[in-house]
Amino acid sequence: MHIPDGFLSTPVWAVMDAAAAPAVGYVVRKAQRGFDDAKVPLLGVMGAFVFAAQMINFPVGVGTSGHLVGGALLACMLGPAAASVVMCAILAIQALVFQDGGILALGANVFNMAIAGVLAGYLPYHLWGRGRGRRAAIFAGGTLSLLTSAMLALAELMISGVRMPGPVLGVSLALFVVSALVEGAITVAVVAALERIQPGVLRAPSAGRSPAFAALALVAILLAAGGVVFASTAPDGIERLAMQTGIASHARTLIATPLKDYQASWLGSGWPAQAAAGIAGLGLVYGACLMIGRKR
Amino acid sequence: MHHVTLDQWSRGGSALHRRDPRAKIATLIGFLVVLGTAHRDLAWLGAALFAILLAGLWSARLPLGPALARAGAVLPFTAVFAGISWLAGDPARGAALVMKSYLSALAVLLVVSTTPLPLLLRGMEMTGAPRFLLMVAQFLYRYLFVISEEAQHMRKAAAARGATVQGMAGNSARFKAAAGALAVLFARSYARAEDIHRAMLSRGFPGYFRPLSAPQFGRADSLFVTFLVISLIVIRIFIEKVA
Repeated sequence: MHIPDGFLSTPVWAVMDAAAAPAVGYVVRKAQRGFDDAKVPLLGVMGAFVFAAQMINFPVGVGTSGHLVGGALLACMLGPAAASVVMCAILAIQALVFQDGGILALGANVFNMAIAGVLAGYLPYHLWGRGRGRRAAIFAGGTLSLLTSAMLALAELMISGVRMPGPVLGVSLALFVVSALVEGAITVAVVAALERIQPGVLRAPSAGRSPAFAALALVAILLAAGGVVFASTAPDGIERLAMQTGIASHARTLIATPLKDYQASWLGSGWPAQAAAGIAGLGLVYGACLMIGRKR
Repeated sequence: MHHVTLDQWSRGGSALHRRDPRAKIATLIGFLVVLGTAHRDLAWLGAALFAILLAGLWSARLPLGPALARAGAVLPFTAVFAGISWLAGDPARGAALVMKSYLSALAVLLVVSTTPLPLLLRGMEMTGAPRFLLMVAQFLYRYLFVISEEAQHMRKAAAARGATVQGMAGNSARFKAAAGALAVLFARSYARAEDIHRAMLSRGFPGYFRPLSAPQFGRADSLFVTFLVISLIVIRIFIEKVA
């Protein structure tokens, strides 16, 4: 689910960009530390593989077919950090070359699919990937990965004020669950087939189980679930919430919430403050990314 | 195919093609922010921005029809949500979604089709994006079509053996066959990556790409960014004040 530009309201895409940029910097650094430059072609080719995998259709039910999305598969094969980097590269190429997903919304898409999706996909494998429940863990990983990304995207859209009447919401949630289960089944089947061809190809989950990682992944999943609940209780999106809590008058001068009753007067006083806040925020994020991302 | 056209377009010699990639990225961000943060008088703003994009396409000597059609790739996704908004009694939001997402896609297309992708990624690297990620993206783009072709061959081979004929095999058997095909594709891609790395090492790969020529951010580029971003902001203020 690639969100195009124009769907997310300014606070949402700005916050997601600000959250995704340092996260990407961190993930890149972690992936780079783990291995030598041999990984560069490997990760690139793996990204190309995920693209190409969309051409191979899996029969699902009668007359319909699904295809691999790949976040969980990559996480099991390459480790979570490298998988995140590959997914980031895929999303960037999709946004630039295929007009699939927006540029301002790239932060949101990266966060949903490359960061939270991959983390959630790796969590079950990380916890139960050693013992007998390995297959179940891989299945759960594929399912959870897709479900987390989709729920996050849905929550962001709803917080941005995109209308979702109850029945539509129900249908889309059901569709998400079905496609998530399909992703889980495909991931397990591909891993099983791979182990027949090349035994031992699967990366065992790292020995030192860091509680920080599990906690992070759990937060991502809870965020996804909580986001939808929160967004569905606030049907008019962030604007109503802002009015209820009375922050609207302050927020107006800081961030452009999509309030329809804007007075022309804010143009005079609000613009400079808005622009200054935005530029200061951008500068902060930029500085943080330079510090995190630059290794050499 | 898609990428071939885009690659051909991006190798033109117009003034827009010659601008530094950083200048084009900065202008693109400015355009997207001006469009994305607007909430009033969207019809006028959309018309003005569309005219600017058309002028850009024209000055880059790109074929108008195919370019406009290509940016329409966002429309199926957008149309679903626009339809939902319309049904929910908010047609204005639906129209805004369509307008904003289409114009944004067209703006991105204009930049990508006047800048070869390696140059664009190099421009991003020079503005501070992590090099490792951009190198992965370059490799991805380079091998995307190689691996896709391999996948297509496999699909054709499977079809030639009757895999797509309904009733030849049950769903579960076809599912397993597809999983097997993907596993083979994965293993081959992995092996190919190792070959690539060995070949790169034997040619003295230093761990990063050495560009043959570094892009120069000249006076024309700074003028380009300043003029366009300021006029975009002025246009928006003008429309919101007057309309």
